[in-house]
Amino acid sequence: MKPLNLLALLLFLGGAAWALTQSERSVREIQASYYRAISPFLTAGSATETRARSFIDEVEHSKKLEAEVEAMRSDYGRLKLIESQLRTIEAENGRLRRSLDFKERTKFGVIAARITRRQPATWWHTVEIDRGEESGIATASTVVTDRGLVGKVDQLGKLRSSVILLTDEACQVSARVEGSPEEGILSGQRVQEGSPKLRLRFLSKDARISKGMRVFSTGRGGLFPPDLLLGEIELLQPGPLDTEAVVTPSVDFQNMETVFVLTPQKEAP
Amino acid sequence: MIRYTISLLLLVVVSVIVQQFIPSLTGLNGSRLLLVALVFLCASVTVPVPVMLLLAFVCGFLTDAQNIIGRHGGDPEVYLRPVEQLRFGYSIVLYGVMGYLMHGIQPLFRQGQWQFSAMLSGVAVFLYLLGEYLLINFIRGGLVLNQTVLIKIACSSAITMVFSPLIFWLLFRLADKSRYTIRFDGLRKPKPKTLTA
Repeated sequence: MKPLNLLALLLFLGGAAWALTQSERSVREIQASYYRAISPFLTAGSATETRARSFIDEVEHSKKLEAEVEAMRSDYGRLKLIESQLRTIEAENGRLRRSLDFKERTKFGVIAARITRRQPATWWHTVEIDRGEESGIATASTVVTDRGLVGKVDQLGKLRSSVILLTDEACQVSARVEGSPEEGILSGQRVQEGSPKLRLRFLSKDARISKGMRVFSTGRGGLFPPDLLLGEIELLQPGPLDTEAVVTPSVDFQNMETVFVLTPQKEAP
Repeated sequence: MIRYTISLLLLVVVSVIVQQFIPSLTGLNGSRLLLVALVFLCASVTVPVPVMLLLAFVCGFLTDAQNIIGRHGGDPEVYLRPVEQLRFGYSIVLYGVMGYLMHGIQPLFRQGQWQFSAMLSGVAVFLYLLGEYLLINFIRGGLVLNQTVLIKIACSSAITMVFSPLIFWLLFRLADKSRYTIRFDGLRKPKPKTLTA
């Protein structure tokens, strides 16, 4: 081997060793710097993509859109009316709760976010949302839709964040099966075939659960709040020591556009 | 040489940004074009070893900065078996290995047979993805290697390989602009024979 090549190889191995021995915090700082650097390009690219899509949609469906706008307008008026009624009911409910000395334990702020793109990873299931630190989001904030849990915030940027989805093997949730005492750990699967499925592990050996039972978060473990819908039991796989279940997620991960980020929990006074 | 190296580094950065907007093909188990890997593989065969290693470091570093997921966190009494993550920097090593693999057939490339390099780029991407997946299995435990995984790896490699002539063409243009010679012996016109007395 030529001396120059040997020197280059040694430098390369030194650099690789340096990278491999970085602490979690340093890695996060590196990732934050990386996202800061490419953020302007991502913003510009996303904006161009959105404009192109909306232009194509506009050309293809202008009449359909007009009809939809009209329908939405009438729906909007109707919903405003319903909302005002709900406000009245909400106020009444609040008064009743107070009179029953109901103590609210937790409160969440909810921030709506749009999924800007799927991240280009081969083995990880992550998406990017258009909200970040400036919107009050924190690392590990819970992300939901109206149908259930989506995942949690992984990398936090000022204006953008990445969300690790529930379908990823690395996203674990402490879960319980409704109508039974069974609790386990729910996570995605390493390999997803077709529509994504989840796996509920560490159920008791003689778990009495059946297909169609709903799975909710327990709130244990300090990551996710309790009672978030996760999915439905699809298949039970008893093992020699414990039982596992295949769960169909409640959220349609293929067609998500808008999600809600729960801002950090605050203790009620 | 320096101008060509700098232009390669810029090309890598551009490919990292473009990669963000390349969708995966859901019909092929989420296979996708791996542009950064492709640019690296094609570029590595056109440069000497030190520059190849520099490119491997940059590509691996940027890939990991993009993809590495943070630790799960949570109460260890509840999450008894957290899923292990690959360490930041593993891609640097994988890129280095792929670069040496490409360099193995550099003599053929220098003879003008760039088609071998194009095909080898597909093989290298296949080995890269397989190596990455096996690493994940190794640290998380439980080998899951089925048809779905193999289809995903094979299709990603094939899609990536299909685009390699385009990247080679781009590299030749860059080399021309940078006045760097990556023309090989095979493409040189034979010198006219001179009559000797």
